[in-house]
Parts: sequence; structure tokens; C-alpha cells
Amino acid sequence: MFDGLIMLGGGLAHFLTPMSLFNIAWATLLGIVIGALPGLTATMGVALLVTLTYKMAPDQAILCLMCLYCGAIYGGSRTAILLSIPGTPASAATTLDGHPLALSGKAGTAMGLATTSSAIGTVVGIIALALIAPLLAEAALKFGTYEFFWLALFGVIISGQLTAIDDPLKGYIAGILGLLVAMVGMETLHAHQRFTFGISALGGGVDLIPAMVGAFGFAEILGVMKRTAQARIISSGDRVIPRLSEVFQYKWTTIRSGLIGTFVGIVPGVGEDVGAWASYAAAKRVSKEKHMFGKGSQEGLIAAETGNSAVIPGAMIPTLTLALPGSAAAAVLIAAMFIHGIRPGPLLMVENPEFLYQIVAILLFSTIAMLVFGLTLTKPLLTVLQVPRERLMAVVYILCVVGSFAITQRMFDVYVMVGFGIIGFILREMKYPMAPLVLGIILGDLLDLNLRRGLLLTNGDPSPFFTRPISAVICIIIILTILMSIPAVSTRVRSIFTRSRGDVSAQG
Amino acid sequence: MTTTSTPTPSDDAPLPGMIKSDLLAGLFFIVLGLAIFYGAWTMDRLEIRRIHPMTVPGLVPGMLALALTICGGILAFRSLRTPAEGGWQQLSGAVFSVAAARAATVMLLALIYTLGLVGALPFWAATGLFVFTFIMVFECWLSEPRKPWLKSLPWALGLAIVTATVVTLVFERAFLVRLP
Repeated sequence: MFDGLIMLGGGLAHFLTPMSLFNIAWATLLGIVIGALPGLTATMGVALLVTLTYKMAPDQAILCLMCLYCGAIYGGSRTAILLSIPGTPASAATTLDGHPLALSGKAGTAMGLATTSSAIGTVVGIIALALIAPLLAEAALKFGTYEFFWLALFGVIISGQLTAIDDPLKGYIAGILGLLVAMVGMETLHAHQRFTFGISALGGGVDLIPAMVGAFGFAEILGVMKRTAQARIISSGDRVIPRLSEVFQYKWTTIRSGLIGTFVGIVPGVGEDVGAWASYAAAKRVSKEKHMFGKGSQEGLIAAETGNSAVIPGAMIPTLTLALPGSAAAAVLIAAMFIHGIRPGPLLMVENPEFLYQIVAILLFSTIAMLVFGLTLTKPLLTVLQVPRERLMAVVYILCVVGSFAITQRMFDVYVMVGFGIIGFILREMKYPMAPLVLGIILGDLLDLNLRRGLLLTNGDPSPFFTRPISAVICIIIILTILMSIPAVSTRVRSIFTRSRGDVSAQG
Repeated sequence: MTTTSTPTPSDDAPLPGMIKSDLLAGLFFIVLGLAIFYGAWTMDRLEIRRIHPMTVPGLVPGMLALALTICGGILAFRSLRTPAEGGWQQLSGAVFSVAAARAATVMLLALIYTLGLVGALPFWAATGLFVFTFIMVFECWLSEPRKPWLKSLPWALGLAIVTATVVTLVFERAFLVRLP
């Protein structure tokens, strides 16, 4: 306990240097701007910034990337409130109540509450990160080959299930496609080249960063440029800094949304958008002002913004302790950590325990920066929203090309980016989620290696995959998840529960 | 993902066009899955190195290919069973819509820039040309209402020069990254 506090103090002190504070300020501000601009998402921003942080010291590079990530998730709320367009997918739920509030002349209140809620949400998640991550890392030390195989599969399945709520089948297909992409190149058990078709550049497999820049950058450009309509910006005249009574008026909603967001973050590959929707739905279900939701409810806005921001620290829990990305942006962070020689996973707390507390410190600093910029820079951020997308997207595409080229300096990665962009765009248009695809690419190697290594250890006997306690539990969860995604099964299970509840109430 | 309307995830009823596109996608995934399965089945089993037959390199790709085929089959089957009146017309309408033409134009410009210009011209020149063309095409030709040429020209020219200069200088000088 005290060790943790001492290391947290160390983490905070580590970044109290002029250089770090400068990096926190610009990266958070850049994040807010990226988040606020429709078409530029947090994942895309983080993926593009990896290139620029390539030459930095590891701690400063991760600092910049994390601050940009937090800033972007918050920045999306500004566009959601003023334009009724979510700046990032994470702010989709914010538009439901944020925009009606702006229309009724309370744009300032909405922006202020979105800022404070995001800050509180991040703090709730940070507390969970500091408390849960060390425990999970310790538990994860007991995980072996068999468990890691199931964890990788679980990550892809649950991400497929939860990111495509209407149609889990499409989520699964996206996940399988991602896993198949990871099969390309040299496999790690016998060093055999798979599906390379004699192309030497494919020998190392498909790099995650160009694939992500394509799927989240170029695909997003295509999606934005497709539309002809431009949205109108609502101007704000009222006060932005909220009163304390307004912030804490719905304290239970705030705490509940923070916890839901954190939990959603912990689930691999399920990101901020799901966190916001889940918190919003929970708040609506128990609210005394249900009728106000969707018509400018401050409670709804608070729930959505607290929920999406709490996902960020939540997502860092599996990212740091299991190397399973908690969200799409966290997948890029894992790639960036590897580039900088940091190995996330169960051994992180053994090899580099102070790193976890440095992440906690980074999140705290970026929350403070977000609060300051969010409450003070209202007018300049309004100017940012007025940049015509025709001019912006041309420049963003150039950054996508440079971003994919710069890391390994080969044109092949640029072609990968373009390919993933076009395929990603078509898949998105057909309502396939991108997060399972990305998770598949990052977890494919883990899944393949651990399955075959497990079989090698047992001389071909698959029984330990099902008989070891932790393996068995994860396996059962996976089977139940898949079964519940089949409409016929889930309807029947629901009807059994409703009937038994009905029986109990009839008896009572 | 950024849409002007903001539906909640649960109230999205499948459109007839989407149901038909699911059929095509399902068939595509079946073919892709079978092709990958064939590739995995015929992959070198490294018998010469006497590896355990359960650890052959084609094991996981083969299993994934089967899973993809099954999922593709379910998608196609589900699409066939769902009534979708006027689905093909809606799908072809979406493929040949203004929105699709705009997306295709971006793809075309991006492909010309990436595959043609980069490498053939110096990076700064290719970049400037791309930014200039992109802005002019989307502001003066494909926008509703179209902007006058003279109004967009200074912006397109200015932004092309600034982007080409800043990107080249910042990446090559400040971040010491080699450009294509």
C-alpha cells in the first residue's frame, strides 16, 4: 500500500519538470483540437503522433501519446454540443443531450459540465487503475500459455460482441479478419513464412501502425468527405465555468458512470463509445427525470461524458498488466511502448513497477490540463471548428502517408495504409466495427503462438486448455458470450428469466 | 463514424440494401475462407524438421479460415431469409450515389498521389500538387453549392505551399525522419 503511494509520488515528481509540463500542455491541447475536429479521432491522432515521438525519450513519448488520447476523447464533446456531430465516436452519446442544451441557450453550461464530468470520470478511472492494476498483474503472473490463448480469444470475441451491439456476427467477422491479417509473415514457433506469396516485405507481417493509420485515418477521411452536408455551429453566450452545485447535483450518476466506464475500459478492445452508451443507458434507467433524456438533460450529458473519459484509465489496466489493449487507441499505445522498449504484460510490475505509477501521474496531469484548457479556451476552440473539412482532410491525408512511412521508412507500409483505409471504409459502410479488427491484428500472434506452444508442451493433448481452472473459466465465458449472441438462444434465456421472475412475484 | 444524425445503437433497423450487401459480403467471406483454408491445408507441414503434427504452421490459419467460412455462411443464409423488398435497387442506388462518387474521388486522388506522384516527383512537389488538386476539386466542383474558382484558388495555392514546406521541413529537419 505505502509502496504504491511512494511510487505514485515518484511518478508525479518525475514529470514535474519544465520539459514534461510543456509536453503535457501541447499534447493535451493538440488532443482537444483533434478530438473537436470531426473526422479526426483519438486513435488516429495517437497513431499519427507515434511518428513524431519516435526520437523522444520513452517516458516523454508515452506522456505525449497519453495526453493526446485523453484530450481527444474530451475534445469530441465540444463538437457534439455545438454541432451535433460527435467529434470522435466516443461523444456520440453526448450529442443526445449536449446539443439540445446548446439549442436552448445553455451551450456554455453544457461545455462546462462536459469538461468537469470528463475530469471526474478520468479521476474515478485513475483510482481504479492504481488499485486494480497491481493486483491483476500479480494474478496474471499465474497465467500460462493455456490462459493466454484463451485471453487472446476472449479479447477478440468480447470486442466483436460489444462493439457491434446490433449485430455481433459482424463483430466476430471483423475480429477473425484481424486475426487472419496477423497470420501473414514469419510465425514465431518454427520461423516459417506464411502467406507471403514471395513478397519479401510481407516477411515481417503487417505492421500495426500503418494498418491503424489506414483503418482509422484514411477510412475516416473517406467517410467524412463522402458527406455533402455541413453542420451549423451554435454560438454560446452563457457562462462556461459551472457552479459546484451543478457539478455535484448528480453525484451518484457521476460515480456510477465513472465505475461503468472503468469496467468497460477493462474489457479488452471495447472503447470509449461503448463506455458512454452504457453509462447513458444506466443513468436513464434509474433517473428521476427520464423524460428529459434526449431533450437536454444535464444528467444525461454528465453520464455520457463521465462514462467515456473513465474508459481511458480503465483501458490501461489490461493494456499494462496483460498486454491486451483495452481500447483501439490503447492498441496503438502498446505498439508505441514496444517501439520505445517498454514491455507491457504481467512482468511489467516486476521489471518496471514505477512505469504503472508514471501512467497514473500522466493521466492526473492531463486531467488538470484538460480542465484548464476546456474551461478557458472556449473562443479559440470555436475557431478550430470552423476550418473547412476540404482543406483539413487534404493535409490529414499527407500526415497519414508520412506517418505510415516514417517508422520503418518503406513505401510498402504506405500501401498497407491505403489498402487498410479502403477496406476499412467499405467495412465501416457495411457496419463492421473496426476495434475487433485491430485487436485481432495485435492478438493474432499471441493466440497462434500460445495455442501451438500449449499443444507442443502436452505432446498434442488439448485437455489442459479445458481443465486448468482459469482456462476453464475463460473458456466457459467465451462459449456463453457466443451462445448469447445467437438471437434464438438469448431470447429463450431471457424468457426463462422473465418467467421465473414472474413466478416469484406471483408467489410473493 | 461521425454522423449528422445520432441514433442509439439499438434502434438501427437493417435497411433492405444492407441486407443484400450482407449477402454479397457473406458469399465473399465464404470464398475467402475456403481459399485461406486451402492455403493453410497445403502449407508446408515441416515434416522434414520432425515437428509435432499438432503444431504445424497452418493449424491456426486453417481454424480461422473455417470460422470465417461459417460466419460468412451464417451471414449469407440470414440475409437470404430476411425479406428485403427493393434491396437491390437501394444497394445499387447507394453504390452509384453522389456520396459514393465523392468517396471514389478521394480514393482516386489518394491513389494517384501515393502510387504515381510520390517517388516520381520530389516529395514536396507531389504533396503540394495533391493538396492543391484536392481542395480545388472538392470546393469548386464537387461541393453544393460550388465555390467560385477565384475564391478557392488563393486558399488552395497557399495551403499547398504551406503544407509542402512545413511537412518537409518539420519532418526532415526537426524530427529527422526521412520522407518518401
